[in-house]
Amino acid sequence: MNDDKKDMREELEDRLADQALREKFSSKKPPDLSAKIADRHAATMAAPTSVAVPLAVRKPWRTTARYMAAASLLLAVGGIGFALGRSTNSAEVANLTRVQGIHRDEEIIEPVIEDAYFSEDVSEVGANSNNGVNMGQAMAPVLTEAKAFHAPSSPAAPVTPTGVTRHPSPFPGTHAPHSPGPHPGISGKPYAGTKVTPRIIIQESEDAALEREKIKEPHLKQANEGQRDEQLRAKEDATRHMEAIRRLLAETRKLKKNNEDRDDLKPSDHPGEKHPTDKLSDLDDQRLAYTALQEERNRIKQELREKGKELSELLAKGEKSEKLIKDLEEVQVELLDLPVQLPPLGQGEGPEHRGANFDHITENEFLRVKENALSTFSIDVDTAAYSIMRRYLKNENGSSQLPPAGAVRIEEYLNYFSYDYAGPKNDDPFSANVEVAACPWNAAHRLVRVGLKGKDIAIDKRPSSNLVFLLDVSGSMDQEQKLPWVKESMRLLLDRLGENDRVAIVVYAGAAGLVLPSTTADKKTDILAALDKLHAGGSTNGAQGIELAYQTAVEHFIKGGTNRVILCTDGDFNVGTTSNDALHRLIQDKAKSGVFLSVLGFGMDNLQDKTLETLADKGNGNYGYIDSLAESNKIFGQQLTGTLITIAKDVKIQIEFNPAQVAAYRLIGFENRVLAAQDFNDDKKDAGEIGAGHTVTALYEVTPIGVEAPAVAPAIDKLRYQVPSKLTDDAAAGELMTLKLRYKQPDGDKSKLLEFPVKDEGKKFGQASEDFRFASAVAAFGMLLRRSEYSGNATFAAVAEIAEAAKGKDAHGYRAEFLDLVKLTQKVWGNGGR
Amino acid sequence: MTRSEVTTVPQSQGLGDFTLLVSAHQAGIWRYLRFLGADETEADDLTQETFLAVLRQPFEDRGPPATSSYLRTVARNLFLMAVRKSGRDPALRGPALADLDLAEEVWAKRASDGGNAYLDALGDCLQALAGRAREAVEMQYRDERSRGEIALALEMTEDGIKTLLRRTRETLRRCVERKLET
Repeated sequence: MNDDKKDMREELEDRLADQALREKFSSKKPPDLSAKIADRHAATMAAPTSVAVPLAVRKPWRTTARYMAAASLLLAVGGIGFALGRSTNSAEVANLTRVQGIHRDEEIIEPVIEDAYFSEDVSEVGANSNNGVNMGQAMAPVLTEAKAFHAPSSPAAPVTPTGVTRHPSPFPGTHAPHSPGPHPGISGKPYAGTKVTPRIIIQESEDAALEREKIKEPHLKQANEGQRDEQLRAKEDATRHMEAIRRLLAETRKLKKNNEDRDDLKPSDHPGEKHPTDKLSDLDDQRLAYTALQEERNRIKQELREKGKELSELLAKGEKSEKLIKDLEEVQVELLDLPVQLPPLGQGEGPEHRGANFDHITENEFLRVKENALSTFSIDVDTAAYSIMRRYLKNENGSSQLPPAGAVRIEEYLNYFSYDYAGPKNDDPFSANVEVAACPWNAAHRLVRVGLKGKDIAIDKRPSSNLVFLLDVSGSMDQEQKLPWVKESMRLLLDRLGENDRVAIVVYAGAAGLVLPSTTADKKTDILAALDKLHAGGSTNGAQGIELAYQTAVEHFIKGGTNRVILCTDGDFNVGTTSNDALHRLIQDKAKSGVFLSVLGFGMDNLQDKTLETLADKGNGNYGYIDSLAESNKIFGQQLTGTLITIAKDVKIQIEFNPAQVAAYRLIGFENRVLAAQDFNDDKKDAGEIGAGHTVTALYEVTPIGVEAPAVAPAIDKLRYQVPSKLTDDAAAGELMTLKLRYKQPDGDKSKLLEFPVKDEGKKFGQASEDFRFASAVAAFGMLLRRSEYSGNATFAAVAEIAEAAKGKDAHGYRAEFLDLVKLTQKVWGNGGR
Repeated sequence: MTRSEVTTVPQSQGLGDFTLLVSAHQAGIWRYLRFLGADETEADDLTQETFLAVLRQPFEDRGPPATSSYLRTVARNLFLMAVRKSGRDPALRGPALADLDLAEEVWAKRASDGGNAYLDALGDCLQALAGRAREAVEMQYRDERSRGEIALALEMTEDGIKTLLRRTRETLRRCVERKLET
């Protein structure tokens, strides 16, 4: 053994000892991942839409062609590969594997790893043997080495003329029953342990032959290229349409049968009324089944529409297929028999929309001031819940739905709008504006509005930006309103960035990668080129992406500038660190680097709302949901400085109510932002951030002394050993409450305290400002959507009336749109609603 | 193509067996990945990936050593790809990536059972460790103190601590090797 090898062995032995000592002494022990693996496997089995399908399936011809090209090249160099396979020892082969794999993993390894079960693409060329050619091993180490283990040894694996090893089938029982038998283009028999589908075989053999021809006789191919490509494409199109329509037909029939079997799911004869099954008890199962049915129907309808369009184009080109047309008609007829429109369901929680996941919200209650004089919470500038509500109501399939109750976060509805609050007049980054007037849904109560206004920073005065886009390019993002919108949103932002700004792009799917190193934003061509190359495919390993994105941001950190990771995803982290706790810890840890986070959610079928909201919360960030390009324009256009520039962090609000004036109070919304009273002065406790020009609005419903609050908890018994504390002299000063604020500078560690005593001047609701009245209408709308027990005598009609009167200038039309949404909700809710 | 058409459940064993497989080998695979240079998060992720990859393929259990070797191969390749894709310098991930064959050889020789016997033997050897060497080891591994802090506490130079720790590990290694051989 040479010295280098000896040293290396010593180093490895030392590393092993070091690792063992760490485990022995510290807590760095292997975690128990059994449950996680079982969950992920179960999720994989249960959620076909999240399968990392596409690369191998969408472009099987391309993958196969690459294999064939590689095999042909191997032949052309005189069977070097074969010789290597014969002569090298295992170590050399392993080295060869690594070397070749490095060049090719982007194109070939990825589909194999991400979709190992799509083995029909690779198994035949990737067959591995101790004796055979190792091209497949070089290309797909995981799969082939896996096979190498469990495949019984084959003493003489023959090699095809293309340099591909054939194996006798060691697992005859593992073929799919529909296996078509030998693959004409590649090898004599299907490889053991794999499944072969007819669809893929047809495409493989035709394309592979074409590709071989291209390599052998390029001049000939060039001459016929256009014609052949066109023929091939037409044939593929016809096959694809035929298959799609047959599948739709089968799905429609299944759906219809399912619908017939479930009488309880049929719509009410009186669409305005609640569905008979809409009871508080055992509603969930019916609701889920109901929603799934509706969604399936919408999806099939949508696909049918698209197929019909493509088919017309195909027929227009002269492609005739009576069978195709007949099948299409049959789907349409079957679809007509399905229920037309399902009525809205009751209050929803949890995974109301298949795949979308919202956290349960327990509404804040009225609290007695005598027992709870302090109310403390963190500010929140997220707006996602509002766009999610809009997405439900303005469903592009034309089937408007009410958002599930868990998706209604009233504080995000309030903060979706800008209010005309006075800005700060001193050095503080924001001002506080408090207004008190009568509560519109309960005349005996008072409504307190706390409004913060962040200082404005003109767009041309904003500091340089170091932005890292962390883009989810997993299979679930492969939808029109996901990745394409992500790209469009980035383009919108790029238009507003300049030479002082830097942009990097990190993508993640099965693994993470830096597709655009940090680049100055004036190099738009480079950035757009990187953006155009992105395509979705694979399962989602968000944790790796997060690591790499923060690392990139830290490497190009701009002191005094904007340093931000912008995560664009549907939130489905199904690979890697997937537990919420682990993700939160990871983000919290990364947030310490001084890099802020923006989270943008896309798509609805799979939206993991809770995950995204919490990530933004833990990562010193904000959470928006892109339901349209207009929303993208709002976030990256009109409110760019607010989105990018954080002017204060860990902003907390604490209100001390005066027991001489207030009997009880209720914070409207902010349920998941409530803090313990002692957290207010604890600078270690994280809270929300406020961006330049942002307005933050919080509403309290207050019952004055002498008015009994509704649904307040019973009073507690007198204490045996203590007497209640007495009122101070200040309690007699006529103040309603004291507003206290704490915040830190964006790069600071110590908080600053601001205090504002507040008096109630006895304003009637009509005397309140337009902003106050509009905000109260928005809050009432949220409460009605949540079916809140505290909504008093609020109705959608009253909401619309108040909002209409308080619309104000409404420069961007958001308030007018709110009015449309209120009216739409009334319609969806039906006459049975309020 | 639907998932039910493409998912391959292990042919020779049910999911119950798979659970046993995970339970028997997950710690070993996690340790192996750490040995190769994966950080804790990566080791968590790739251990899961390894078993999920195995679950997707027909799998025949041929006893613990062969199974362990097979799982290591899958894990190693997953790790290699993750390193390549991350775009970071593999050399920074530790010595194992510089010579994977040698790393595999060392692991197979010392920790082919996933490292359990090694840890047991190390536990025995540690009982015999005393004096400054023990103090240094405890401060380094149990208290996670920096080399500077240990140097201050033991009134030695930082280089001295480095050498002391290395020699102690060497002594422990020899002890473990002896115990494993017997």
